[in-house]
Amino acid sequence: MPGIIDSSPSCVTNNEGMKPPDDSADFILQANYQDCAGFMTFGPGSTYGEEGTGAETAYMILTWLGIVVTVLVLLAWVVYENRRLIEYSVRGRLGRGEEPPPQPGIARE
Amino acid sequence: MIDFVFAQVENLQDAASAEGQVLDSVILGEQFYFFTVVLMWLIHVGFMSYEAGVVRRKNVLATAMKNILTIAVVTPTFYYVGWWVYNCNQPGLPIGPNSSDFTSAACQGGIPWSDAFGPNLTNNINLIFFLAFLLFSWTTASIMSGACLERIRLSAYLLLAALLGSVVWILDAAWGWSAGGWLTLRFGFHDAIASGVVHGVAGAFALGVVFNLGPRIGKYTREGLARQFRPQNLHVTLLGLMLLFTGFYGFYAACLVISSTAFPGWANIYLSPTTLGSITMIITFGFAGGFTGGYFASRGDPFWTVSGGLAGVIGVSAGADVYAPTLGYLLAMATAALTVYAGNWIEKKMRVDDVVGAVAVHGFAGFLGLLWVGIFAAGYPTGLNNVDSSIGGQLMGMATFLPLGFLSGFVASLILKKLNLLRVPPEVELAGLDVAEYTEDLYMPDHAKATEMMIEPDGTFVISEVVLADADREVVR
Repeated sequence: MPGIIDSSPSCVTNNEGMKPPDDSADFILQANYQDCAGFMTFGPGSTYGEEGTGAETAYMILTWLGIVVTVLVLLAWVVYENRRLIEYSVRGRLGRGEEPPPQPGIARE
Repeated sequence: MIDFVFAQVENLQDAASAEGQVLDSVILGEQFYFFTVVLMWLIHVGFMSYEAGVVRRKNVLATAMKNILTIAVVTPTFYYVGWWVYNCNQPGLPIGPNSSDFTSAACQGGIPWSDAFGPNLTNNINLIFFLAFLLFSWTTASIMSGACLERIRLSAYLLLAALLGSVVWILDAAWGWSAGGWLTLRFGFHDAIASGVVHGVAGAFALGVVFNLGPRIGKYTREGLARQFRPQNLHVTLLGLMLLFTGFYGFYAACLVISSTAFPGWANIYLSPTTLGSITMIITFGFAGGFTGGYFASRGDPFWTVSGGLAGVIGVSAGADVYAPTLGYLLAMATAALTVYAGNWIEKKMRVDDVVGAVAVHGFAGFLGLLWVGIFAAGYPTGLNNVDSSIGGQLMGMATFLPLGFLSGFVASLILKKLNLLRVPPEVELAGLDVAEYTEDLYMPDHAKATEMMIEPDGTFVISEVVLADADREVVR
């Protein structure tokens, strides 16, 4: 059994010590996966049926987690770059003896 | 041993069965798209080199990073949004009598938690086909990138790239680049290798963005005459374009549907018959005609000669599945020549600072390619309804795609502009993006930096520092 999380779907049968395949023609170990279709980690292990609906809860949560992270990364990019550019801009103006304009997120002495 | 031989014979019999042939065909398709994806990476190597060569030395690193990070952003956004947009919006918008059916099986296959969106033993094609489309998405974003060089913020570009690459272009692809899209079903719209769907729309989007972005400091004189910034390395630019062209063969191939169990084995995106050889002939003759047209129209200018090759191919892509090679050659030559004039007009008359001429090369040539089909390739049944391609259908597609691309780019960049998040501060632009964004110069400290020069409208060389300092005083902060 996996040490931390068993993320394999229920279609995968875990039976260690099973008899090895008879010859090289059976090189794909299909027996443990024969009931599987969509067998990704946290996945449904099957197809969703006629309408294609009904994702497994764990797979749905995983996907939404990815969506949220993507959005947060985009926002972080905007904020991070904005700070760097403003800092550089302010330094440049101070170097020329100009009064820098007030900027959000930059502490004034 | 004898058991092994019998097992092999049994396998051969299985392979000859109908089921075995279908499996073979599927795996052949899976491999085919895999290699197109690998080949299409060269498009992005090419875009990176092309753009990094054409900018000034102080912006090389920022330009290359922008191209690389396109992949970081468009990949997840296209995965979470883009494939759903393509699969669920082919009948049209979610309103009206022909609105999209979001409960259909085809639509469900596009949602990111679909059972076909990960390892699936019963579906070899969805992921690899998705990846081919993903590479098209990167391409649309990279097209826009070239127009905005040397003054757009990285984060603004990435947001716009996500919008263009994961929503805008794939929405027009759903409408006009699928056998069941409403433009195809009702009007016989025909754009086999994406002249308008990828290039035209991305060019229109880029135009909307550069309107709000404005020209680089010092690009135009007070009288509105255009100055030229000297590229830091034209050789790298030309090399980038040649790499891009190599990747285009993968792009072209990926636009076909392969099925070895159905005659003739190949179909275009509308599932009408064609062959791999046909489209490969057209892309090659497109380059030949494009280089020639670009060379003579620009009077031998290296940049426009090679860009002419790109414009030529884009101009013949829409009808590449049916064009005769000679027609492809002539149309590419005409497209490239007209693109050179369009590029100069955009720069000098419209006063739009499009650094690599993306609006002309991709936008103008892309829409011209749609028009060429209406004039020279009418009468080909297209899509599930087998509606003939026609000038009317092509004009309908152009009338749909042009505002879709331009307005989405214009509105999105306007919002960023209002939030003061679109353009880098003038101090950063003058110093160079590399120092501000990455705190270093691309080259080693002991690599002497040549004095930056510019070319005035009358052709004289001047030291940039003087011109830019003068222009900087007129910048409204």
